Amino acid sequence: MVNALGRGLEEIWPRLLDGDQSHLSMRDDLVPNRSLLLGAVRGNLPPVPASLRRYACRNNAMTLAALETIEDAVADGIRAAGRDRVGVVMGTSTSGVSDAEEAIRHQHETGKLAPSFFYEQLEFGGAAGFVSALLGLTGPTYTLSTACSSGARALASARSLLDLGICDAVIAGATDTLCGLTTNGFSALQLVSDVVTNPCSRNRNGLTLGEGSALFLVTRGGDGIRLRGVGESSEAHHMSAPDPHGEGAETAMRSALRDAGLEPGAIAYLNLHGTGTPLNDAMECRAIARTFPSPPPCSSTKPLVGHALGAAGALEAGFCWLTLHQRDAEGLSLIPHAWDGQVDPELAPVPLVTKGMRAAVGPVMSNSFGFGGNNCTLILEAPE
Amino acid sequence: MTRAVLQGWSAWATGREDEAAWRSWAEAPEALARDGRPEAGFLPPMLRRRCSALARIMLTVAFECAPPAIRDEVRTVFASRHGNINESIDLLMRLARHQPLSPTRFSHSVHNAQAGLYSIAAENRRPSSSISAQEDTFACGYLEALSHLAREPEQPVLLVVADVPLAETFAAMVEEPTASYGVALMLASRGPGPELDFACGSEDGDASPLAWPDAAEFLRWLLGDEPRLQLGAGRRRWSWTRAH
Repeated sequence: MVNALGRGLEEIWPRLLDGDQSHLSMRDDLVPNRSLLLGAVRGNLPPVPASLRRYACRNNAMTLAALETIEDAVADGIRAAGRDRVGVVMGTSTSGVSDAEEAIRHQHETGKLAPSFFYEQLEFGGAAGFVSALLGLTGPTYTLSTACSSGARALASARSLLDLGICDAVIAGATDTLCGLTTNGFSALQLVSDVVTNPCSRNRNGLTLGEGSALFLVTRGGDGIRLRGVGESSEAHHMSAPDPHGEGAETAMRSALRDAGLEPGAIAYLNLHGTGTPLNDAMECRAIARTFPSPPPCSSTKPLVGHALGAAGALEAGFCWLTLHQRDAEGLSLIPHAWDGQVDPELAPVPLVTKGMRAAVGPVMSNSFGFGGNNCTLILEAPE
Repeated sequence: MTRAVLQGWSAWATGREDEAAWRSWAEAPEALARDGRPEAGFLPPMLRRRCSALARIMLTVAFECAPPAIRDEVRTVFASRHGNINESIDLLMRLARHQPLSPTRFSHSVHNAQAGLYSIAAENRRPSSSISAQEDTFACGYLEALSHLAREPEQPVLLVVADVPLAETFAAMVEEPTASYGVALMLASRGPGPELDFACGSEDGDASPLAWPDAAEFLRWLLGDEPRLQLGAGRRRWSWTRAH
């Protein structure tokens, strides 16, 4: 995993538990006349091998950085399953747009696209195609792009490819990178906050954009963390705004509980979509209050890493995975909700995690809601 | 389980707008028209105005394939190699010229815009995926549809596959049959229609490049009587076999 908090689980976990917001940074080169606080991945990314230069974009370099943090597990998984039985399902909403921006700027100035640019960097399918080409895999390889639910959905499809018997292992996850298109687009939609995002606060006024990559090796059985439930829905409402009643969000959560065969009371922690926009938090809290007679402790991790759009669902599934993986005999350490503490009396009340809060070991839930009204909720659990 | 029942299909390309036209195409296949867009007169005018050529194609074949009674009940998979990338390229050109972006155009440029538009037009609240998989986009769309059937065998899945040619600057970078086309398939775990077995594997035998998209080749096979179809021009091979 790679995001604004660092690279690899050892670096990221303590910063998550601290509610550390010091890794967000300002950039003024993306949106004209505007400085934005962003969850940017800092430092150099590993170079994409020269033989794969057709795929050499920042998005794929970020994927490579995340893959490097799990390379032993991936190598073992490929060895056990065989190259033709390992699938790749990636989520992304940006793919290599940041590199296409450079290429097109070059074209605007010189009349020709930048020579380092190839279409494989920009096309969505290239996000999964890169992983497959890098690892020499010949199993099914595709990219899901359903805006901000892409990453969660990639894990759902990975599980189904195993259930279908088409694959014996799937590398699944998502990567998104900061670019002019999304920062300007979300600014034009007036969804971006000038200060750090403040989900569920009465002072919340938009999201903080971010970037990152989280990848999983998904297999049948074993003693790892389990993907216990998947719930999905569409909203039939609006292209860029959620249904204010939260019916789509409620359907996704209830379907995930049904798929997992769990009662709402079993959920130990819920990672919110929690973007910090007025509409999202209102509808999400409303949907949670209807789904859970007594809602579990909740937090949004977007104030720590920003909203990484298509990658958010995978990053947050990764945070849930870490929460379970780091369990001890007494229970789970929960990731705090970093905000100004100003309760919004208009929101349906949900308990927000404070620093140091613990919970008994149990299944955890992660919500992802996307543009076009595309929702996906995952439930993960620790093995017995 | 990779067996599914194909309950129905529909397809669109310029000059090939009904079943009879596709049946005669299947007997003497040739390259499909590069350009064009369907009327999509069934869409409310407000919604239709916001539809790109790709959205009109996808919604037209989707509405034709899904009977009105189940339009709001099917799960959907939208598969497109390029999706709305021409729209994104246009937005990037605006950025290069330091022009502001239109919020509506930005939100309609996402890969799942067509899925969102279908959901609104058909009042469909079921799960929906939008995928892209380079030269294997049709086969992987079919596989993603099977993955939805695996999750919920009782809900039919409407698979919609379509593309329009890439913008000129980028078109030379991709070798593929250029066409504006759409194909929709209604897949279910049972019911009326041919039962098809799907399998995937790596390189096995020659695969000569086609002059039309994979989805159209699938249709040609479906309307003929060969027992097996193999697709895949890259490193992967995909096959369909009639179970009966």
